[in-house]
Amino acid sequence: MPNNNPEYIMPQYDIVIVGSGPAGATTARFAAEKGLSVLLVDKKQELGSPIQCSGAVSFNALEQAGVQLSDEFVLEAIYGFGIYNEKGEKKTVDYRKIKPDEYGSGEGLKPLGFVVDRRRFDRYLMTQAERAGATVWLKAEASGFSSLADGSCEIRLTKFNEPITVKAKLMVAADGVQSQAAKWAGLQTHIKLSELASCLQFVVDGVETEGLLEIITGHQWAPGGYAWVFPKGHGYAEIGLGVTRSMCEENAQTYLDHFIKQSFFKERFKNCRILEIQGGGVPLAAPLKVQYADNLILAGDAARHVNSITGGGIHTALHSGKIAGEFVAELILSGRPCSANNVKEYQDRWLEAMGNTMWKLYRTKKKIFDTKNITQRDEMLYETMSGYFSADSVYKKI
Amino acid sequence: MKTKQPVVFSIGWNACIKCGACVAVCPHPAGFITAFDTIAVNEPCDIACMHCEAICPVSTITHHQFVVPVNES
Repeated sequence: MPNNNPEYIMPQYDIVIVGSGPAGATTARFAAEKGLSVLLVDKKQELGSPIQCSGAVSFNALEQAGVQLSDEFVLEAIYGFGIYNEKGEKKTVDYRKIKPDEYGSGEGLKPLGFVVDRRRFDRYLMTQAERAGATVWLKAEASGFSSLADGSCEIRLTKFNEPITVKAKLMVAADGVQSQAAKWAGLQTHIKLSELASCLQFVVDGVETEGLLEIITGHQWAPGGYAWVFPKGHGYAEIGLGVTRSMCEENAQTYLDHFIKQSFFKERFKNCRILEIQGGGVPLAAPLKVQYADNLILAGDAARHVNSITGGGIHTALHSGKIAGEFVAELILSGRPCSANNVKEYQDRWLEAMGNTMWKLYRTKKKIFDTKNITQRDEMLYETMSGYFSADSVYKKI
Repeated sequence: MKTKQPVVFSIGWNACIKCGACVAVCPHPAGFITAFDTIAVNEPCDIACMHCEAICPVSTITHHQFVVPVNES
């Protein structure tokens, strides 16, 4: 029911963050730690669900964003990569062998990264934001946003069917690949069909893995993308792929079925039993050119902060959340208004820290997938992937 | 001048995995969405680019031509 009580005071926060995924919750944590009043809203009843992600994230990404490790979300430690070409020839990049005194499972050694359970990971990140002082509302769906004449903004929400309007200095749109919040400010966020990978994965029992993220390239297996086999903890694995629909006739499901039953892994997969089915749209797109407006900034998938070579988006979301949270705290504590001119600096900082490299990755990806000759394209992708994950890769920190 | 006829989408909910890809690729302004994070199903789409149908990993989106109700034409 709308609140008609004349004594009613509209809830007011420094910032409202729409979407409590890795980007939103990290923005919330950093902003709250610096002393802002933060409201983090998510329409879901259970964060991270339904899962739309394979869950691979580097140790470095977690450290950089100040995320403490916890058994709560880690499913399995990762020590390297196995990159396959279309014939099944493999390049192994195993840091347990490359740097045995640094990486491994023994005492004093560390993993390279992890496969996380996104349901638990997202909940954990939200909890850390709450402990830092942010207020979190679940089952709270944002449905509108307007800048106000006094330089602030209002966000219209529905929480357990109750309409609530909240006043804030700034809204952070971190509502994912299907972002609606940025569209309210007139930002063009939809992704071209040729730049959104259509992904499907199965969590399976009965497939052996060895602590490596396995990446299978080749047009015949996953046109405009790649297939993967990731360890998933508890002896499970994850088999999935992403395809660019404008480069193929069939859907992702058909390709995944083909990959499991017809590929050089068919013997390895023959006893696999499906435990979970997940899918998602992964932007293999350029980051948005404009990620801000009056009283608004975008973070994570909503701003297309996704590595367009790997399709990875957790690291980039955590990192952009950190940049966003710290920047917004500085701006608001300085007393300056959150006009588009003033919030633009967020995007500048992001470009400097990460965005320029993401643009470079996008151009590399585009060059590969624009190549018409399939044999040549397959070779380029395999070389790029192998180079990307090699020990001396220039992209190691992205 | 519009060259495409408006369509109304249907979603086979049994196969839908709620992945959100159809919404991500949709060029509509905000709001062409259901509560289940799919493209809208109860209103006509006058863009009719069919990108949502193409991107769906499990091909569970279909459409029919929108027929303008007689009393509204």
